[in-house]
Amino acid sequence: MPGRNIREVKVQNSKINRRKFLSTVAAGGACTFMGPWSHNRVYAQSTAKPIVIGTTTDASGQYANSGSSERRGILMAIAEVNARGGVLGRRVTSVHVDTETTPATGSRVAERMIQQEKCGFLLGGVHSGVANAISQVAQKYGVVYFNTNSSSPTEAGQNCHRVKFVWDGNGTNFAKAAIKNSINAFGGKFVLLTNDYVWGHDTARTTKKQIAEFGGQVLEEILIPQGTRDFTAALIKIQQLKPSIVAAAIGGDDQKAMRQQVAQLGMSRSPVWINNQQDWPDVYGLPAENLFGIFGTNWYHELTLPGVKEFVNKYKAMYSNEVIKVPGNVFYNGYMAARELFAAIERAGSTNNIAIIKALEGHAMKAADRMQHFDAYIDANTHHVQQTIYLATANARPKDKDDLFSILAQAAPKDVIDTDAPQACKLESYAATPTFDA
Amino acid sequence: MYAILPHLINGITLGLLFALIALGFTLIVGVMEVINLAHGSLFALGAYFAMTIISGGAFGSTELGQWWLNFPISTRYVAAAVIGPALAGLVGMLIEICLRPTYGKASLYGLLLTFGAAVVLEESIRIFWGAGEQSLRTPAAISGAILIGGMIFSIYKVYAAAFAIAAIVGVWLFLEKTPYGAIIKAGAHDSEMVRALGYDLSKLRLFVFGFGAALAGLAGIAMAPIWGLRPHVGLDVVIPAFLIIVIGGVGSFWGAILASLLVGLSIGLTGAFLPAWSMVSMYLLLILIVGFRARGLFGRKSALEN
Repeated sequence: MPGRNIREVKVQNSKINRRKFLSTVAAGGACTFMGPWSHNRVYAQSTAKPIVIGTTTDASGQYANSGSSERRGILMAIAEVNARGGVLGRRVTSVHVDTETTPATGSRVAERMIQQEKCGFLLGGVHSGVANAISQVAQKYGVVYFNTNSSSPTEAGQNCHRVKFVWDGNGTNFAKAAIKNSINAFGGKFVLLTNDYVWGHDTARTTKKQIAEFGGQVLEEILIPQGTRDFTAALIKIQQLKPSIVAAAIGGDDQKAMRQQVAQLGMSRSPVWINNQQDWPDVYGLPAENLFGIFGTNWYHELTLPGVKEFVNKYKAMYSNEVIKVPGNVFYNGYMAARELFAAIERAGSTNNIAIIKALEGHAMKAADRMQHFDAYIDANTHHVQQTIYLATANARPKDKDDLFSILAQAAPKDVIDTDAPQACKLESYAATPTFDA
Repeated sequence: MYAILPHLINGITLGLLFALIALGFTLIVGVMEVINLAHGSLFALGAYFAMTIISGGAFGSTELGQWWLNFPISTRYVAAAVIGPALAGLVGMLIEICLRPTYGKASLYGLLLTFGAAVVLEESIRIFWGAGEQSLRTPAAISGAILIGGMIFSIYKVYAAAFAIAAIVGVWLFLEKTPYGAIIKAGAHDSEMVRALGYDLSKLRLFVFGFGAALAGLAGIAMAPIWGLRPHVGLDVVIPAFLIIVIGGVGSFWGAILASLLVGLSIGLTGAFLPAWSMVSMYLLLILIVGFRARGLFGRKSALEN
C-alpha cells in the first residue's frame, strides 16, 4: 500500500492537521470549562448524583487478606449509611480496583479513580509504601484519602498530607505500649527483626529509640527483605546472639512464614517475642502454637464493651460465608474510617473537600462510639487518629476457636502518643490544596 | 568456622528443598520445551489437597469423615503425600490436554496458556478453600527442634531435606534405570524420532506433564509446613524454579540440582551475614553464571555455537 504510506508521511510532516486542530480546541475548551485544579471543580451538589468512594485496597500480593478485610469494613459502613438514606440525601456507591500491594499500582489506581471513576474520596491502605503513593496523588487533586490500616510512623509524620487521615495505631504507639513493660519484665537485650521497607524501618527506628530511653540494648538488627520465606538464617543468628527479647517488625505473608518457622524451632517462648502489631487477617487460621509473643492491636472482638457484640453480629450476618468469621482490627479500621467520613460530611453539611477536612481535624470521638476503652481524637497537626492501644498475647484458654487473643493491657492515647510526628509532619496549607465538591 | 557451620547446613538444606521445587519444572521444560507458569499453582494445589485429606475436609463431620479421622495423623499424612501429588498430576494432565493446540507454534502460546491456567487454579483455590492462611498438619515425630553441637535445627526441615533427597534419587532412578525414563529422555532429545519408533508422543507428553505436576504437588506438601499455605503461595515458587533451571542449564537434571544447592547456599549465607541481600543474591548468582556461561552450568551447546 505505497499510496497510503505516502499519505501518512504527508500528514506527519504537516505542522498542523485537522485532528490536531480539533483535539487542541477540545482540550482548550475542557480547560476553560473545568479550570485548573486549584480552582473549584464544582459539581451540582443538589443533584441526586451518588457520592463515589474509591476503595484503594489490596486484593493481591502480600497484604491481599488484609486488603479484602478492610474493604469489607468499608462496605459494611456504606451499606449502613445507605440504609439510613445516604449522606446529605445522596446515595453512597463504591468503586474498587486492586492496588496489588505495590506502590506503583497504588499511584496508578488513585489516578484512575480520581480522573476516570470520579471518586470523591479514597479509602484503604495496608502497605505504607502503597498508602504513601496513593496519598501523593490524592493531595495533587485535593481528594480526601483515608489510610485505614498502614501503620508506619511516617504516614502521619514526614509523609503526611492535608488530605490524608491515618486511622490505625502506628509503630510508635505500639512500641511505646510494649517496650517499657517488656524491659522491666524480661530484661533489656534486644535483637530487632526488621522488614526491609518503609514500615519496618520506621517501626525499628522508634523501637530503638524506646529501647535506649528505657535502658535497654540492641544487640543486632537483622534486616529481612520483603518476600523472605526462609527465616532459618535469622533464627540461627538469634540463637547465637541469645537476646532476652526479639522485637519483630515483620508483616503480611513474611510474618506468617516466620511464625511457622519460629514455632517449628521451639523458639516461641525463649526469647520473648514482641511483634509490633498483629493484624487479624495475618493470624486467623494459624495453629495456636504459631501465635506467640506480645503484640499490639487497636481492637478485639471479645472486648467487653457496649456495642461490640452487636457489631460482631452485624459482621456475621453480612459476611456469613467469609473464612474469617469475626471482625478483626483491620476490618474495624476500615469500618470506622468510612463511618467517620460520612459523619464528617454530615457535620460539614457539604461535600466540599476543605470543609470536610476541617470537620475531621481535631474531631473527638467518644470511646463508647468506637468500642474502645478511651476517647479518641484526630490530631489536627498530623491527621493521625490517637486512640486506645491494646497489648495482647495468645489466649491460653479460648472460649471458642475465634478467641485467639488475650488482652493484657490497654494504653490511653496520651500515654502512647507519637511525639516526633508533629515535628516531622508539614501539612500543606488549605490554599495549596485543590478544592472541589465531590 | 563454628559460627558459619549451621548456616552452611541451612544453605544446603534450603538448596535441597529448592531442588525438589525445581524438579518437576525442569522435567517439563526439558522434555516438552514448555515453561509451565502454572507450576507454582500446582505446588499450592498439591498442598491444599494434602491438607484436606489430613483434616478430613468436607467429610470431617460425617460418618466417613469420623472413620477417616480415627486413623493416626501419620497414616493420614502418608495417604496425603501419595494422593495429593496424584491429584495435582491429574490437573497437570488436564492442562497438557489444553496445551495441545499450541504445540508447533511459537512458545509464547504455551507460556500464555500456562499463565492463564495459573490464574484459574489460584482463583479456584480461593473459592474452594478460602483466601485465608491455612496450615498443613504434620506428625509429631517430624515436628519440633533438635540441638546439635549447641546449634538448633528444625526436625521438620531435616525431614524435608531427606524427603527431597529421596525424591531426587527416585526421579533419577526412574529416568536412568527404567525403559519409561529412556523414552522420556529420548523424547527430550528428538521427539520426532520417538514418534517414528512407534511410541505415542501424545501419551508421552501427557505422562510427563502429569508427572511434573505431581512433583510440583509433592514439593508443595513438603514446603507448606515451612512456608505456610495461602492461595498465592505458588508465586513464591515460580521465580526460584525458573532461575534454577536457567542457572543449571535448561533440561539438565544435575544442572538443576547443582543450581538449587548454589541458590540455597547463596540465600542461606547472605541471610546470615548480609541479610538485606539475601533475596537479591540468587539474581546476582544468575547474572554471574549466565554472564560467563550463557547456557547455564550444564546446558547443552546451542547449534549456533558450533
